[in-house]
Amino acid sequence: MAVKKPSPKLLETMPEDLDMGPSESDPETESGSESESESEGDEDVKLAEPSKTAIYNKEGILDKLGDISWPDDVEWIHKLSLDIEQEQEVDVNDDLARELAFYTQALEGTRQAFTKFQAMGLPFLRPSDYYAEMVKTDTHMEKIKGRLLSEKRRIEEAEERRKARENKKKAKEVQAEKQKERTKQKKEEIESVKKWRKQRQQSGFQGGDMGLSFENGKESDTSKKNKRAGVSPWDRSGGKAKQSGGKDRKGGGGKRKSREFRDSKYGFGGKKGMKKQNTAETTNDFKGFSKGDGFQNKKRKK
Amino acid sequence: MGKKRKHSDVEVPAVKKDETAAERPKRTLLGWKDKPETQQESTGFRNREKVLVTCSRRINYRYRHLMLNLVSVLPHCKKDNKVESKATKGATLNELVELKSCSSCLFFECRKHKDLYLWMSKCPNGPSVKFLVNAVHTMEELKLTGNHLKGSRPLLTFSSNFDKDPHWKLLKEMITQIFGTPKEHRKSKPYHDHVFVFSIVDDHIWFRNYQISCPHTGADKIDRGGLEKMTLIEVGPRFCLNPIKIFGGSFGGPTLYENPFYVSPNQIRSLEKRQKAGKYAKKVKAKTRRKMHEMTNPLETDEFADMWKE
Repeated sequence: MAVKKPSPKLLETMPEDLDMGPSESDPETESGSESESESEGDEDVKLAEPSKTAIYNKEGILDKLGDISWPDDVEWIHKLSLDIEQEQEVDVNDDLARELAFYTQALEGTRQAFTKFQAMGLPFLRPSDYYAEMVKTDTHMEKIKGRLLSEKRRIEEAEERRKARENKKKAKEVQAEKQKERTKQKKEEIESVKKWRKQRQQSGFQGGDMGLSFENGKESDTSKKNKRAGVSPWDRSGGKAKQSGGKDRKGGGGKRKSREFRDSKYGFGGKKGMKKQNTAETTNDFKGFSKGDGFQNKKRKK
Repeated sequence: MGKKRKHSDVEVPAVKKDETAAERPKRTLLGWKDKPETQQESTGFRNREKVLVTCSRRINYRYRHLMLNLVSVLPHCKKDNKVESKATKGATLNELVELKSCSSCLFFECRKHKDLYLWMSKCPNGPSVKFLVNAVHTMEELKLTGNHLKGSRPLLTFSSNFDKDPHWKLLKEMITQIFGTPKEHRKSKPYHDHVFVFSIVDDHIWFRNYQISCPHTGADKIDRGGLEKMTLIEVGPRFCLNPIKIFGGSFGGPTLYENPFYVSPNQIRSLEKRQKAGKYAKKVKAKTRRKMHEMTNPLETDEFADMWKE
């Protein structure tokens, strides 16, 4: 709508502009006939179709071009303009491709210009010791540098963190594998010793029991652990106090009893700070104050 | 303006070469001072281009910075105060340009605090172009990291489709004259370390400014390897021009060209609003339609409707 209005006005001003007289008629006729058909369509037609009432005065344009342009034999050094071939159509919306096209155009132009300058023997690039006022201030460039550095640092840190995480994972795996191997080894060794002992027994060896310590030790280990693990919170002895189960097993369990007795007295672990405090039972218990009773453990249940 | 050159062309470069070979030329801030330069100026073509850069009132901060960036990039320009006119814009500007004895003008007009229109015109009677400016990025953006000498002459690169149509040719000529720094301008610096890119994509003119960075030893000694390692760093600013109209006179005159694809941003905004406004009307229509439909096709009475009633 806004496009159609200027054109009738221009027709009125036409006689004042002598240059455009004959040339103006051509585009008017072609746009005039089409504008009538498009007049209703123009309201709805927007960006999809071009408006047909657009003026295009080619001769006028070329006239003006002749007016303003510099003489043809002006040296290139005055214009410094280069025309670069554009190979392919660039999609406007693809940012990266578009910027790349501009970059290649500039690069190509610079190379061509450089060859021309070399041919003319003129200086081209700025030498590194030439200091003059730049278009961006030094403080601004400092800001840019700071930003670039911080970005680089951020990226590096992220990389390092990622690497550390992966290393940890790997290390854990490796550790787990090593642990497995060790236990396997241990098992194998024990098995092999057992076998050897069996063989020796079978072949009628008369050595004393070598103590079965490691066979038993394993169990007592676990039982000790269980005892400690299953400690109730109100047990101030920390699981060290023994029930009176030791009385029942005199003969066969004699050794065990002594082992466990010694453990409860000399062993480590148990509750932290209650070793020198009275329990409910020992408050009124003055037995320990007799002579020669120092080696009786108060915490042991009687 | 158009002085035809005599055959002094051929002699002058030869003379220059001899001089530099004979004695060591003096190196000043303005470049290499050679003896025969003064002779050259009197004969032959001299680019006396001066650009007046102004803006309208109520201009946005971003566009003001763009204008200031352009002022710093073009050493042959003159910045003037804000222009207040509404109706007689063309006449005022023409007078202003005459007053400052400039030969062309870049006028930034900001409408509604949102849209920037750029007028590029050759005064006093040259053609003028009105552009709509999009996609503005100023030099102050931290992502544009390049830097170049203030006032060095730029290399202008145009994409080949500038030669396809007459109106593009005219624009190319105007851009060359306005954006190209004259050769022996007082404020111009010697070396060429930045390049302008004017490229036509999708009927818009895209502008980019790159710094040329290349590892080299002297001012003019670059070997083949150095040429390959040349990189460009963007300095800015960046903008995209959409030509609206080309006029025969300066800031007025007969229209020589109209862009058929151009839709003013006001129209775009009003269209969007109209689409949104249609939502409510459509809803009301749909409601009445539903009512009519229900009235014409009544539902059967539901046998369970009274089940929960007390």
